[in-house]
Amino acid sequence: MKLDIVHDLQSVYRKIVDASARPGQLADLTKDACFVKEEGNHDCPASILLLALTLFDQEITFKVISEKEENITKTINQLTYAKPVETEDADYILILQDAEVGALNNAIEIAKPGTLKNPHSSATIIVEVSEVSDEPSLRLKGPGIQAIEFAHVETNEKWVESRQMKNIEYPLGIEMMFVDHQAQLLSLPRTTQITENRVIV
Amino acid sequence: MNTAYNFAFFDEGSKREIRRATLKAIAIPGYQVPFASREMPIGRGWGTGGLQLTLSLIGKNDVLKVIDQGSDESVNAVNIKKLVSDTTGVETTEETHDATLIQSRHRIPEVPLTKDQILILQVPIPEPLRYYEPSESETKKLHAEKEYSGAWLMLFEQIMKYGSMTTGADHPVLVHERYVMAPSPIPRFDNPKMDESEALILLGAGREKKVYAVPPYTKVVSLDFEDFPFEPESFEDKECRLCGSTGVFLDELVDEATDETVYQCNDTSYCLEKLNAVGVK
Ligand SMILES: [Zn+2]
Repeated sequence: MKLDIVHDLQSVYRKIVDASARPGQLADLTKDACFVKEEGNHDCPASILLLALTLFDQEITFKVISEKEENITKTINQLTYAKPVETEDADYILILQDAEVGALNNAIEIAKPGTLKNPHSSATIIVEVSEVSDEPSLRLKGPGIQAIEFAHVETNEKWVESRQMKNIEYPLGIEMMFVDHQAQLLSLPRTTQITENRVIV
Repeated sequence: MNTAYNFAFFDEGSKREIRRATLKAIAIPGYQVPFASREMPIGRGWGTGGLQLTLSLIGKNDVLKVIDQGSDESVNAVNIKKLVSDTTGVETTEETHDATLIQSRHRIPEVPLTKDQILILQVPIPEPLRYYEPSESETKKLHAEKEYSGAWLMLFEQIMKYGSMTTGADHPVLVHERYVMAPSPIPRFDNPKMDESEALILLGAGREKKVYAVPPYTKVVSLDFEDFPFEPESFEDKECRLCGSTGVFLDELVDEATDETVYQCNDTSYCLEKLNAVGVK
């Protein structure tokens, strides 16, 4: 089956709305990501491309951080007409799993956080990781969460602290989405407070 | 379904634009995100912000309910439902619990909303500070600085003048301890329903080109003073003359035959449901 840009992308959008309104509740994009995969867009992971197709057009800017940056940037630009720019100017920053360790922290640091008058003029960082799950390594609190939610992000990056620093002057801040190889998506708006659960042995 | 239109009326570009704004709105509760509002083929005065949100959200499997001031059958509600179902083919309903999307103007339904529903409120004036500050760039600055003394002063002046806070509807709220927000012209009775709501609430203003949001489980506090606490309209000792409900928002009517004041549920689908449940017709 082919990706239906009206109905399938509406369904992806609604899943992102739910996942963003209820941080910690993962969105399952498996079915939609499969359609993208079948269309054979090579270098770019299907779920990342799916998010780009859902949210990107000529009105937004993006930056890809990956070994295959050039190819992926070209694909996304051709399919969505979104404009590639440097990280600090990007509305969306896509960090793929083959990016070097430290790339995520660096992106968090320099991503645009909006201004006090226009806090919405801020970056969303989309990160490809091997796995996201509801394993209790991260405790989430904040709007959208009744008491507490748990999440786990499988990555070598130490991002929790730099994200917290970035979002400390609320309402300034950035949004983050982690997508894994099974097309599961964890959305973390700037309002979500994260503490790392220490495993005591 | 009329295939001369795009699905959900809009082209995909218009949907994407309001979708991106909506996601930012969810991330910054109570903050008004600007968006490029589109012209809509619907009567002026009803406003199109809510409708544009509905169209950007709706999919084939949604079930839509539209209410105008508590009624599913008003001309406006019927027209909106018709436009949406003509361009999407989705099912519409009057039963609150059957709906996945509920678009409303001036009320939050009496039936508690659930996590599987999104409430979309139509907003005429999204800026709660507009009453005393006409300039948009000034109100943006006040929000930026969290400088809300004017909002308190406005309420205080009402108390001095009338002995109580006289905001009939649209009583301002503080969202997530950061933004003062206009809840749209819902009665004060409905303000507490926004606090720690199970459903996501989205608000849209077409003419003013703003969307904003109250995510689920978010603190929403109606502005008040220690000496003059916020009080919703009270219907104590009163009940609906049709279904007998108490503790709901009632409309006051005058029985022309007896000249007596009588009360009736403002939320008509809730009232019908109650009537059907007890088998009265
Ligand atoms: Zn009744």
